[in-house]
Amino acid sequence: MMICNVKCAVPTLLKRSFSSTIVIRNSVVTTGATSDEVSHFKDLAPTWWDVNGSQAILHRMNLSRLDFIQRTLRNSIPLTSGKPVEEGKEEDIYVPGFNYKEFFPEQVTEAVRDDINDSVNAHLKNMKLTVLDVGCGGGILSESLGRLPFIKHVTGIDLTPECITVAKGHSQLDPMLKGKISYQLKSLESTKGKFDMITCFEMLEHVDQPMEILNHSWKRLNEDGILFLSTINKSLVSWFTTIFVAEDILRLVPRGTHHVNKFVNAKDILRWFQNNRMGEFELLDLKGVMYIPTKGWCEHNCSDVGNYFMAIRKIKTKNNNSV
Amino acid sequence: MSSRTMRVFSLSSNCWNLQPQGNKGRKRTNKNLRGQMMLSRTRTVASKYPRLLVRQLATVKAAPKETDVLIVGGGPAGLTFATAIKTSPELSHLSTTLVDAGDIKNKVGSFYDNPPDYFTNRVVSLTPKSLNFLEHHLKVKLMNERIQPYDGLYITDGCTPATLDLEKDSMLYMIEILNIQSSLLKKMQEHKHGLKLIDQTKVANIEYTDPKDPQSWPIVTLDNGEVFKTRLLVGADGFNSPVRKFSGIHSRGWFYNTFGLVATLKLETPPFKIRGWQRFLPTGPIAHLPLPGNNATLVWSTGGEALSRLLMSLPAEQFTTLVNAAFILDDADMQFYYKQLSKGEMTTEELVKDVASRKEQVLESLNDAGDDMFVDEHYPPLVSDVVENTRARFPLKFSHADTYCTDRIALVGDAAHTTHPLAGQGLNMGQGDVEALVSALEKASMRGLDIGSMLSLEPFWADRYPFNLTRLGMADKLHKIYHTNFEPVVALRSLGLNLTNMIPPIKDRIMDTLTGKY
Repeated sequence: MMICNVKCAVPTLLKRSFSSTIVIRNSVVTTGATSDEVSHFKDLAPTWWDVNGSQAILHRMNLSRLDFIQRTLRNSIPLTSGKPVEEGKEEDIYVPGFNYKEFFPEQVTEAVRDDINDSVNAHLKNMKLTVLDVGCGGGILSESLGRLPFIKHVTGIDLTPECITVAKGHSQLDPMLKGKISYQLKSLESTKGKFDMITCFEMLEHVDQPMEILNHSWKRLNEDGILFLSTINKSLVSWFTTIFVAEDILRLVPRGTHHVNKFVNAKDILRWFQNNRMGEFELLDLKGVMYIPTKGWCEHNCSDVGNYFMAIRKIKTKNNNSV
Repeated sequence: MSSRTMRVFSLSSNCWNLQPQGNKGRKRTNKNLRGQMMLSRTRTVASKYPRLLVRQLATVKAAPKETDVLIVGGGPAGLTFATAIKTSPELSHLSTTLVDAGDIKNKVGSFYDNPPDYFTNRVVSLTPKSLNFLEHHLKVKLMNERIQPYDGLYITDGCTPATLDLEKDSMLYMIEILNIQSSLLKKMQEHKHGLKLIDQTKVANIEYTDPKDPQSWPIVTLDNGEVFKTRLLVGADGFNSPVRKFSGIHSRGWFYNTFGLVATLKLETPPFKIRGWQRFLPTGPIAHLPLPGNNATLVWSTGGEALSRLLMSLPAEQFTTLVNAAFILDDADMQFYYKQLSKGEMTTEELVKDVASRKEQVLESLNDAGDDMFVDEHYPPLVSDVVENTRARFPLKFSHADTYCTDRIALVGDAAHTTHPLAGQGLNMGQGDVEALVSALEKASMRGLDIGSMLSLEPFWADRYPFNLTRLGMADKLHKIYHTNFEPVVALRSLGLNLTNMIPPIKDRIMDTLTGKY
C-alpha cells in the first residue's frame, strides 16, 4: 500500500512543479512533505495558472491533449442513429469511403462532412462521461475536460496538498465548472468507483513501476471506457530533446526534471497490455508529439520517438468483472 | 504601464469622455483607499453633474449579472460577431450581450422592413470573401435589391494620363452599412436563446472584479444602471474604443489632415459600364462607385479642412459640377474653382459654363473625333444631383493597436485599426477580424478552454495582425505617394501604374488583394 502511495505522489510532484527532483522524491518517501516543500509549493502555486510562467509548456501541451482526446472520442462514435433496430436487420447508414473527398464535388463533400458532424454531435450530446484525472496537479487538464458539454464529472486526484488547494481555488473562478469537478487528496489505489475515461498525462515517466499505474487505472475503468496516457520513449532522441535541449540549453524545463532511465517506451506499454490484458483492450490511437517553438505541440506518426499520446479502450468481455 | 481601472463619464449624449485612472502606484493601493479615490473623483464631477452622482452611487450596489460575452458596439463588426456566436454550434450556448449607444432596435431594425427610397450615405465596398462569410457562413439574408455588384475599377492619376484598368465580373459589392446591420439584426431574431441587446446605453465604467488580477472577470457598469460581469469583453466600439483604453493596449497612428466626404449621387443616366472610378488628385483620391439604378456613391478625400468645409457648404448644382469636373480637369483648374467659390466670386452659371468649356478642350485634345464611346469608356457617368442631406465628412486617420487581445478582452474592427478609405479595406478588415475571432473561440471551446483566456485569444491576433498590418501599410503608402504633385514622384508612380496595367500577373495580384483573396 505504501509503495503505491509513493508512486502516485512522485509523478504529480515532479511533473507539475518542474522542481528539483531528488529533494522532493526523498522527502516524499521519508516524511511526506517537509516544511521546505510546503514553502516551495506555496511559492509556486500563484504561477501555476500563468500561461507564460513556469508551466508555459504544459499549458501549450494541454491544447494538443484536448485535440487528441476530442478526435479519439469523435472517431470512436458509431455513425448509427442509436435507435433500436428490428432483430435480424441492420440499420441502413451511409458510410463514405475514406477518400470520398477526391471523387465528389465540393458541395457534396461538405454535405457529407456536415452530416457526419451532426450525427457525432447528436451522440455526444447524450453522453455523460465521468472522468478520473490521475495526478491532476493544479487542474489544467481537469478544468478543460470539465468545460466539455459531454463530460458529466471530473475527479482529479493528487497527493500534493498544495496542488489540490490551487486546483480547488482556481476552479471556483469559473461558474461554468460549478458541480463538474471535485479534487481529492488521495492515491490511485484508494480511489473508489469506476469511470468512463481515465487520464494519465505526463506522469508515467516519473514513476518507478509505471505498469502498476496501468494496472490500477485499468481496474477503475468502465467497460467501453478509454484510458488516455502520455509519456516519453526511452531513446537517444528523447534524451537529446527533453533533457539536453529543453533542460540544459533552452531551460524551458528546470534541470533534473527528467531521467532517461525512467522513460517508458510505447512498445513496452502495448506489450504489457498484450501480456496481461489480452483480448480486453483495443488501441484506438497512438501518436508521437513534438514541440515546435512557433507552432506549439504537433502530432506526428513516429510514435517510438520522443513524446507520445496513447488511447486504449476497454472492450466488453465476459470475464471483465474483477475489480 | 497599463491603466487597469478606468472611469468613463458620459457628459453629453454624443461624446465619450475618457478619464483613465490608475497607474502602477495606484495598483498597489488597498481597497479602502481605492474606494475613497473613486468617491472623491465622483464628487468633483458631481458638483457639476449632480444627477450623475446619484446614478453612480445607485449602480455601485447592484449585483452584477453574469454573461459569457459582452460586446461593446453595434456596428457591422459587433453585430456580425454577435450573429456568428449565435449561429455557431460550438458557441451558441454562450450567453451574449451587446451594448450600443445608438438607436439600434428602432432605427436600424426598421430599415430592413421599411427601407427609405433613397440610398443612405454610409456605403462600403464588400469583398466576395466578406460577402460569403455573411451570406453562406452566417446565413444572413441581405437586402439584395440594395446591393450593387460591379465589374471593375478604373483608376487614374490626377496629374498624368497613367491608368490602371482592373476588370473582373462582380469583383466587389457596394452595400449600405445599414443594410448589413439590419440584415444581421433580422437574422438574430430567429434565434430562440438570442442576443441580449441593450441600445441607447453607454458604458459608464469598467473594472476588474479583483483589481489586482487581470484574469478576473471585468465588471461593466452601464449608464442605465445595469451591471454585467463578463467572461469575455469584446471591443467593437470604434476608433475611440473605451474597451481598448481600459485594456491598456496602446494604439499608434496619425491623422492625415484629410477629410473624407461622402454623398449619395443621382446620375443623368444609368451607367454604361458598372464599375468603380477612382482618380488620385493631389488633394486626395476621389471615388465614384455604383449603386443600383441611376444611383452612385461618392467618397472624396479632401486634403485640409477648408476644402471639405467648402464642398459641404456648396449648393447642390455647384457640388455636382465640381464632382464631374474632378474626373476630367487638371488640378490647376480645380484649385481655381475652389478659390473662386470660397471667395464667393463665381456664380453657379459661371462655374457650369467654365467647366463645360474646359472639359470640351480636354476631350478634344484627347480624341478629335469627339466619340461618345470614348467618353463612356474613360470617364464616370455624369452626376445630375446629390441626394439632400447625404453629404457628410469625417477625418481620415491611420491607427493600429499593438495587440488585439489581453486577458478577457478582444478588439475587433476600428477599435483595433483604422485606415484610409482609398483601398476600400476598412470594413472588410473588421469582418476578417470577426471571422478569425470566432474560429479561435470555436477551437478554444472544443479544447475546453476558458474563452476569455489568452490561450484562447492568442491565435486570433496572431492570425489577423500581420494581415491587417500589410493592408494598413498599403493604404498608407498609396496615400503618401499620391498626396503630392512633386514631379519625380509623379513620374515614378505613373510609370509604376502603367507598368502594372501592362503586366497581367501583377494586375491579378492587385485584384486578388483588393477582393480579399489574400
